[in-house]
Amino acid sequence: MAATSSSYPPPPPYYKLYKDYLEDPESAPKPPPPIEGSYQLYGATYTTDDVLPSLEDQGVRQLYPKGPNIDFKKELRSLNRELQLHILELADVLVERPSQYARRVEDVSLIFKNLHHLLNSLRPHQARATLIHILELQIQRRKQAVEDIKRRREVAQRLLKESLQISDGRLP
Amino acid sequence: MDIISQLQEQVNTIAALAFNSFGTLQRDAPPVQLSPNYPEPVAKSTEDVINVAEHPKIMSAALVKAAKQFDLLVSALPLSEGGEEAQLKQIAELQAENEAVGQELQKQLEAAEEELKRVRELFNQAADNCLNLKKPD
Repeated sequence: MAATSSSYPPPPPYYKLYKDYLEDPESAPKPPPPIEGSYQLYGATYTTDDVLPSLEDQGVRQLYPKGPNIDFKKELRSLNRELQLHILELADVLVERPSQYARRVEDVSLIFKNLHHLLNSLRPHQARATLIHILELQIQRRKQAVEDIKRRREVAQRLLKESLQISDGRLP
Repeated sequence: MDIISQLQEQVNTIAALAFNSFGTLQRDAPPVQLSPNYPEPVAKSTEDVINVAEHPKIMSAALVKAAKQFDLLVSALPLSEGGEEAQLKQIAELQAENEAVGQELQKQLEAAEEELKRVRELFNQAADNCLNLKKPD
């Protein structure tokens, strides 16, 4: 028992710095600021800037045209047709010249990679659309709450006036 | 599941159908004669051959169906007017409107709380009066 309890390292000694935190919150060190850029954790490098790496970065040829605004639906449909054609080509090659399958399999996997990359690049658009939807819902709920409060206040004021009239009528 | 995840699932399904089809056909194909020098290979029993002949039809039908499903999902994408800038502009506008409505809500809330406080005081006074009037002396 004693051996297992001493085999773990003690906690870091920073807790001593916060001894007088209750009396004087300024005497203790502030928390570290948020990290920007890349950082190291357990020997691996991570980055805080999460962006989808472009296909060229992964060494994959991009089949759909680059540009500011891509027509996603059109490109997805044309990639689907290309995929079907290449699968058919692969079937043909396997029947006629079975030893040349590698090139065709590479083509099919290239199309799949392009498809997935295109779908992944739709995710930021989806995130922004979700944000817009949430904001619209929130505005609607707030407006509803304002209306409710206004109505209740009117009802309360009316009741108060009535009760004041009644009580005035009763007083001698 | 949201539409983009469904599209991704459909892509993976098409891939699975493709490699399953090729694998099954390669595994179950009957031997074929490659060169006239060697004897004709022994064909399997007829019902095996019949079963194997149906596989391509079924599997290709499934593959085409999956591709059509993919096209259907693509046309169901709610891609409203393109442009990241348009979306960002809309977000900024909505945020401003949200802020304004939030301010008004805060104002109404404060006024309502003020009125509640006054009504409570009045109620206390009225209750005290009632109790004082009924004090048995």
